[in-house]
Amino acid sequence: MPHMPLSRLLVLASRQLLRDARSGELRVLFFALLIAVAASTAIGYFSARLNDGMLLRATEFLAADLRLTSSSPNPDEQLQLAQQMGLEHAHLVEFSSVIASDSGIQLASVKAASNDYPLRGPLKSAAALYQAEETGPGPQPGEAWAEARLFVALDLQPGDMIEVGAKPLRLTRVLTYLPDEAGDFYSLTPHLLMHLDDLPATGVVQPGSRVRYQELWRGERDALARFRQAVSPSLAPNQRLEDARDGNRQVGNALGRAERYLNLASLAAVLLAGVAVALSAARFAARRFDASALLRCLGLSRRQALGLFSLQLALLGLAASLTGALLGWLAQLALFSLLGDLLPAQIPPGGLWPALAGMATGLVALAGFALPPLAALGRVPPLRVLRRDLLPLPASAWLVYGAALLALGLIMWRLSLDLQLTLALLGGGLVTALLLGGALLLGLKSLRRLLADAALPWRLGLGQLLRHPLAAAGQSLAFGLIILAMSLIALLRGELLDTWQEQLPEQAPNHFALNILPAEQQAFADRLAELSPHPAPLFPVVPGRLTLINGEPVRQLVSKESQGERAIRRDLSLTWAAELPADNQLIAGAWWSGQAADELPGVSVESELAESLKLQLGDRLTFSVGGLDRETRVTSLRKVDWNNFQPNFYMIFEPGTLQDLPTTYLTSFYLPPNQERQLVELARAFPAVTLLQVEALLAQLRSILDQVTLAIEFVLLFVLAAGLTVLFAGLQATLDERIRQGALLRALGAERGLLIRARRAEFGLLGAASGLLAALGCELISYLLYRFAFDLAWQPHPWLLVLPLLGALLVAGAGVLGTRRALNISPLTVLREG
Amino acid sequence: MSSSILTARNLSKVVTSAEGELTILHDLSLELNSGDSLAIVGSSGSGKSTLLGLLAGLDLPSSGQVLLAGQDLGQLDEDQRARVRAEQVGFVFQSFQLLDSLNALENVMLPLELEGHADARQRARTLLERVGLGQRLSHYPRQLSGGEQQRVAIARAFAAEPAVLFADEPTGNLDSHTGERISDLLFELNQEQGATLVLVTHDERLAHRCQRLIRLEGGHLVDRVEP
Repeated sequence: MPHMPLSRLLVLASRQLLRDARSGELRVLFFALLIAVAASTAIGYFSARLNDGMLLRATEFLAADLRLTSSSPNPDEQLQLAQQMGLEHAHLVEFSSVIASDSGIQLASVKAASNDYPLRGPLKSAAALYQAEETGPGPQPGEAWAEARLFVALDLQPGDMIEVGAKPLRLTRVLTYLPDEAGDFYSLTPHLLMHLDDLPATGVVQPGSRVRYQELWRGERDALARFRQAVSPSLAPNQRLEDARDGNRQVGNALGRAERYLNLASLAAVLLAGVAVALSAARFAARRFDASALLRCLGLSRRQALGLFSLQLALLGLAASLTGALLGWLAQLALFSLLGDLLPAQIPPGGLWPALAGMATGLVALAGFALPPLAALGRVPPLRVLRRDLLPLPASAWLVYGAALLALGLIMWRLSLDLQLTLALLGGGLVTALLLGGALLLGLKSLRRLLADAALPWRLGLGQLLRHPLAAAGQSLAFGLIILAMSLIALLRGELLDTWQEQLPEQAPNHFALNILPAEQQAFADRLAELSPHPAPLFPVVPGRLTLINGEPVRQLVSKESQGERAIRRDLSLTWAAELPADNQLIAGAWWSGQAADELPGVSVESELAESLKLQLGDRLTFSVGGLDRETRVTSLRKVDWNNFQPNFYMIFEPGTLQDLPTTYLTSFYLPPNQERQLVELARAFPAVTLLQVEALLAQLRSILDQVTLAIEFVLLFVLAAGLTVLFAGLQATLDERIRQGALLRALGAERGLLIRARRAEFGLLGAASGLLAALGCELISYLLYRFAFDLAWQPHPWLLVLPLLGALLVAGAGVLGTRRALNISPLTVLREG
Repeated sequence: MSSSILTARNLSKVVTSAEGELTILHDLSLELNSGDSLAIVGSSGSGKSTLLGLLAGLDLPSSGQVLLAGQDLGQLDEDQRARVRAEQVGFVFQSFQLLDSLNALENVMLPLELEGHADARQRARTLLERVGLGQRLSHYPRQLSGGEQQRVAIARAFAAEPAVLFADEPTGNLDSHTGERISDLLFELNQEQGATLVLVTHDERLAHRCQRLIRLEGGHLVDRVEP
């Protein structure tokens, strides 16, 4: 047959495929692929949609998708650019102003907002003090809403008039929730919300006055990204563009980790499915050796025979991928509808991308894992029709592993894992596989000597393993990989959740108290001790600005948009302390050691800021404090836990250096819910003290973390299901040989019990070895991941040592169950063979 | 010895296929005494292997009765039949059917171990020496030629000193010269041990080395040659 057009080959291939399908031949391969694509599609949709949902929730911290903040009005060109990109816009001007009423005056944080504010998140208010809050649009021109604190401080009622600068406004509602107030620590004073149209009449905003201009935008992700890219080059030094991720450190961290976790979990699912596909494709090829030899005898060329089988596989892959993608899509739909109550109300549908990506993943895995065994089919010698023991030359190891690695690399790239993570996983996995596989091989070989005297079930069971130690090591690695992937995902889940739980303990401080006067310090501390179970200590605060480093102006030393730049642009809260505060960790230098009198006073600097400002121990820092310059020397660097909702400081001075300056005190404390009245009383007793509630921020954070947790638990379920499927697929792959062996042993008079004992011995050992591999691999890879990907502290996990036992039980259980056909097969089949 | 070791009464086997019920063995009876040898011949699909499977208790008839060493196989469950096979039966297959994971010695030891013999190793060694493979004890099946594999299979078949030996085309996969030597070995050992031999074959010459012969066609007994 010198030439066969592709169309005929295609017809032949599909006809052959249908026949094989009818005979049940392709079931394992089909299901392995189906599971691969379904799991990867479902996880893809789940994480993409949930991520969108979480981001949506996180955008509340900005009240927008994207926010531009500046100390001067933002240029029109930038606003027009956003308009051209189809972004919705709201305008906000923030400033501090004295609010006057008949009964007195009070400094307040004023927001003048256009009609569309907020673009993300709800604006909540109540008709009167301590009444139920409602969600709705903001105040109309001529009206103002204020927080309860302002009502209390000025003894006001809804309907009373106040003055903001020169403009009289009617206080109509009590402001209870501003979405973007939560993360904003500038707003130490009570908030007042008014309409932007009233702003000019106040006369408050003059050239030179301290005002923050904010542009808020909402829109499609692509449009936002394009705008961000287009506007970035034109940003002035005093302008700052941020989205939900930049906006809040805690949320950014949590989202980043969750995203990495979900990607990692889909990778694990794909890896598992890849193993399943590889195992069943090898069986697919082995069972076609005869057919291939026959076709060659019938005159098909090598290329045609190979083409025929490749086409069959491609058709099969396409059918399984389509079905799998549909199944995965349905699975996540069902999941979201089951979880309706727990998830944010708005969840974007997710688009077509996860389905396409899932299908591509399946096809890439099929190509990478199935082509090498398929290639062997082309090399089946035609003589096999006469001599069945003729096997094709084995495929080159480079081809086999190269193809599989390439497929994995492609899939990782698709999951857009970063380079460090990819290298940690691939490298760690490879090194683990090589080292442990080698050790296993040696172990099996040495076991062979002991076997001669073992009992019959052991010899029958282990004979197979020890006769082909390389194959056994490979199989053990495959099962080990499955257990590894499952336990790694379970391990990470536990530790991520613990980390978040620690970050937000039940009684995390939910209030900050600022501007406590030195005269009131003791009285306030006493009062707080009555109200709150564990108040933080009171820290002295002196506002000051870092001006010189080693005599050079700071502005010349820092890069734009860096953390350092943000820190030096404003006053820092400077404090002093004799002891290192709790949750602070000294990483360089020494705490105060009593310097000589002629030396400069010491300062301890937060380590990330020090890095951003390129500070070293011994550097001279000059601060402008209360109009005077203070020179200090860096004596230590500290790591600070910014997530703990305690007062934290960039700069801590040596005691005695700032005491001569006007000082206020600052603390944080936990107040149980529904203690609004106590709070009001506290505010009344200490009118000068500013009380700041961070309950809203905590609630938002908790709700985001709850969603992430949920996502992680469901993804874990998917991974476990995929792992078990692979285990069975792997066993199926060896079923033919086992059926033959079982039938023969029964013909020779072996009882069922003996066969079961032999199987248990074989799979038990295989499982224990796999579990051991998994435990060691899990430790290595978790170390790499914690270090490079999740920024978590790593500790050994002794409980992983149960994995060999677990592996033995799991693999032995699944092995006996998965190969029970070989037990029940009629011994008559030995007569039918040959 | 004239006691009956293997008796078949009115054996029939019906299988259900897509085309309906198909009778592959019709009402067949026979009786073998200890030391007898019987050849079952017939064309492909005539029911030879089916009959062998029924006689050896590898399968159960649709109707009729098989008595092996006095035990009614139809009354036993699969594990009990396995025990009867372990104690009374040996097999030689066309495709040798050695376990790849065991070496020659271990393959021969297998039936002895299934029966619980204490000196399995020594007995297996002696038998392998008897079939001329004393130098190949630790070779695996893949390292042996077809004739050598069949000799291991014969040693395995006789290892447990079975009352009945079933051989299914024992020379079918071998060239004529090797086949000749294998059948010589089979009959020699059979004589030495005084076992009953049931042989399925196409090979008329081999068949005629047996004392008795039956010929099957389409599941019917069409010819019977008695001594």
